[in-house]
Amino acid sequence: MSLGDPRLTIARRELATLRSEKTIVLALLIQLFIAAFSSFLVVGLVSLYDPGSVDGFETEVAVTGDASNELLATVDERPSISGTRYVSETSARAAFDRGEVDAILLADRRAGRVFVTATVPDGNVRTTIIVVQLRDALSTFERVERADRSAQLSATPLGLPPRSGASPYYGFSYTVLLPLLCFLPVFISGSMTVDSLTEEVERGTLELLRVAPVSTVDIVDGKVWAAVGLAPAQAALWVALLDLNGTSVRHPVAVLVVVAALALLVVTLAATIALLAPDRRAAQFLYSVGVLVAFGGATLLPVNPVNSVARLAVDSVGPTYPLLVAGYVVLGVAAYLGLRRTVPRIDVDE
Amino acid sequence: MTAPPPSDRLRDGLRAVARIARWEVGRSAGVVDRRTAALGLVALLLAGAVGGATLATGGAALDRDVYRIGVAADSPYHEVVRESPALAARPPDLGSLGRSVEVVVRDDQFYVADSRKAEAALSSFRSAVRRHNLNQMEAEENVSAAFPVVVTLRYADRGGSPGAVADGGSGTETGAGTGGVAGDDPASGDETRSGGDDGSESEGGSDGGDGGADDTADTAGGTGGTDGSLGVPFLGGSLLGGGNSGSPADISPPFPFGALVLAFVFFVPMNFVIQPYGSSILNERINRRGELLLVAPVSPTAIVAGKTLPYLATLVGLTAVIALAIGGGLTSVAAVAPIAALYLAATFVGGMFARSFKELTFVTVTISVFLTSYAFVPAIFTNVTPIALISPLTLVVHDLQGTGVTAAQYAFSTGPFYVGAAVLFTLGVGVYREEDMFTQRPVPLKFLDALDSRIAGPRSMAVLSALAIPFVFIVELLAIAVLFVLPVDVSIPLLLLVVAGVEEVAKSVHVYAGFENDFTNRRTLRTALILGSLSGLGFFLGEKLTAVVQFVGLPDLALGQAAFTPVGVGSAAALGLLVAPLVLHATTTSIAALGASRSRNWYFAALVPATLLHAAYNFAVVSVLG
Repeated sequence: MSLGDPRLTIARRELATLRSEKTIVLALLIQLFIAAFSSFLVVGLVSLYDPGSVDGFETEVAVTGDASNELLATVDERPSISGTRYVSETSARAAFDRGEVDAILLADRRAGRVFVTATVPDGNVRTTIIVVQLRDALSTFERVERADRSAQLSATPLGLPPRSGASPYYGFSYTVLLPLLCFLPVFISGSMTVDSLTEEVERGTLELLRVAPVSTVDIVDGKVWAAVGLAPAQAALWVALLDLNGTSVRHPVAVLVVVAALALLVVTLAATIALLAPDRRAAQFLYSVGVLVAFGGATLLPVNPVNSVARLAVDSVGPTYPLLVAGYVVLGVAAYLGLRRTVPRIDVDE
Repeated sequence: MTAPPPSDRLRDGLRAVARIARWEVGRSAGVVDRRTAALGLVALLLAGAVGGATLATGGAALDRDVYRIGVAADSPYHEVVRESPALAARPPDLGSLGRSVEVVVRDDQFYVADSRKAEAALSSFRSAVRRHNLNQMEAEENVSAAFPVVVTLRYADRGGSPGAVADGGSGTETGAGTGGVAGDDPASGDETRSGGDDGSESEGGSDGGDGGADDTADTAGGTGGTDGSLGVPFLGGSLLGGGNSGSPADISPPFPFGALVLAFVFFVPMNFVIQPYGSSILNERINRRGELLLVAPVSPTAIVAGKTLPYLATLVGLTAVIALAIGGGLTSVAAVAPIAALYLAATFVGGMFARSFKELTFVTVTISVFLTSYAFVPAIFTNVTPIALISPLTLVVHDLQGTGVTAAQYAFSTGPFYVGAAVLFTLGVGVYREEDMFTQRPVPLKFLDALDSRIAGPRSMAVLSALAIPFVFIVELLAIAVLFVLPVDVSIPLLLLVVAGVEEVAKSVHVYAGFENDFTNRRTLRTALILGSLSGLGFFLGEKLTAVVQFVGLPDLALGQAAFTPVGVGSAAALGLLVAPLVLHATTTSIAALGASRSRNWYFAALVPATLLHAAYNFAVVSVLG
């Protein structure tokens, strides 16, 4: 038979243990949990801190003070906030205490400026929404007031592009969620390789395997292949799921190739570490620090994996994107070939 | 022969623990050879360099050049696009709109492609222009023209908030509750958010009495305070807590961003330390290595304590160092220590159950993810709602913000962690014996074994039920934290169902474990009813502990009431019905026990009616009692 056989057998055995321990199910669940939680966080925070995304929530504001007419004109233009004029702060405060208004704006003109004191209710979830709504309304008011004083300014502010009904989650889905779901399987694959190799050393089975007619390179090959194959498969699952949810990925094949190439790179790193430091405690520590460093450091570069996946998925790459993908493939394959050359020189059993 | 006095035995035990701890440290240090140490040093140096570079460059831009804006090089908007990392400048070619550019700017007109991406691009562009304008205004000489509006933000209490609580009848109770809480809960005091503004600080004093004249005086003080700081508006508010005054763009909601980021630092060492700890536990189980230790004249408890002590000490030490570095006090250390203990306890159980290193990795990742989110997510709402107190991290945030923490709050936040860690260690020690350590069985079976090791007769059912309460508590609180963003109409029924399901499982899983082992020859109706009732009784008694909840004011949240009043504790109207929850728990657990006495599938099937009955009862209590 051909050379590939023992390596494929080892790869199959790797996958079989994963299946029998059902760890892969746990892995998928963890990824789902992380994705759901980060989405929950973002959706929760955005709806708390971005009033535009909260439907049917109207803030009633009491406006008082000598600049109240001008402020009221701005406030009334905004859809999610409505103002009522009160003659004095005492009457506004009474309305606030009765719960008729959600906030009080006391606007006074002094020394050529408008001083606004905003009073909002203390300590509940609505406070956050009210504060953000007030901030937006007051920012508009500031622009109006500033326009009145434009003669005293050396530069005029640029006109704002029109407001758009964009979903606040759009950017998050492509630049955070998708890369997260694509790279978690990669990290997990690397961690699995560390475990698999260190456990063979711990149990002394690596010795046994080497008595069989396979070389250490074959063993490492089989384990690397199994781990590398898993990552793009999981990423494909997430891409398909995101697509069902309305986040369509524009260059799915290119994204998966990048994931596979990075998986090759990371798993190679993991295998190297596991062979150099065959105690699991040391190996896992070195691996996690190494991956953190590699990915953290990479995000500082103008071209980095997270950004590449995001731009591929959102179709902001231009016609030369195959070059970008090829770059990652070259990186992964080069690392892998380097490992294959080094393995025979590493003295594993010490 | 006479037995040694208890004090001697205790001393011997402690000596054994210390000996094993020393041995564990020595062995762990032994695996670090020169090669590993060199690799570790390189990795840490690189990590430091990357961290430094990240700080120096102001962080990474994950969304670099995601949106493409067509803008001529001589347009004033070109600079805006160049400054914003997410935007990429392209030639203003209207023909490529929708293909290689999303938005085109030409002669102060904005052309937008028809796609979701283009809308997102436009929105991103809009905020970039706003930011650019703000920066430009800051360079202006004439401050009063550049920033004509000065805002001071104040937080004020008001009696009763109609509309805020959707849950009909609970309105009055809620109002009363808030009044009580305001006194002992520093989170709701105004001082919390005094981001550098004198005016709002003095307002804090008038909190209790809502006198109108008092407030007018305060307002004058407030504006006077900002008068002094004319000119330079606050940029981005203070690090801890939201900004309170300045230009409208500077005010921000009470979000303890800085404190949260700092609090997160405490979690970094935990995720690293549980890795070697789990390895060390699993190592004992590989090739029967732990057998030598098992036959030595020391108890499993001493072995486990000795093996755990170095890791716990390391974590507490690191926590103290971090606390010193980021300005936390003793409160921070005291709040983080139980989290560390629970991390180790969960990892210990994981190490006892896992069949291979691979499985252990997944178990530890699950633990990290779950505990981190449990601690982290509620803490985001530190300044918003008392529910945040379910996480000890909230105490850290309070500590970092300089607001005090009461003993009751500490007990409420950390109680489940302490008890949970103790229970997990107890469970794990139960299977620290030859027949469990060196056999390969699926994790659920090992779990049942661990439960079974604690069963000695029917009475154990009650004890185990009561011991399950901290976990029930943690899961239910997590459910509240996740669900409370939803509208109350949806979240309360959903929560009742989740609560019922969690409690039913917690009350019956050890009954099932019992039928699989100890009671396997007594699978009768009578046994099922006895075990079910006892388990229900234990849970009922343990549940009284949730009375603690009432001290920290969680019930003033509509959701807190839904989760905890069905218990029947506290609420005056429910006092007469004290027996009802006992009957309920006994009945539903007996239903589940009946299923458990037959087979696994019957057990799962029986959980459904038990849960539904429980949920229906809770729903009735909530709607009748309000």
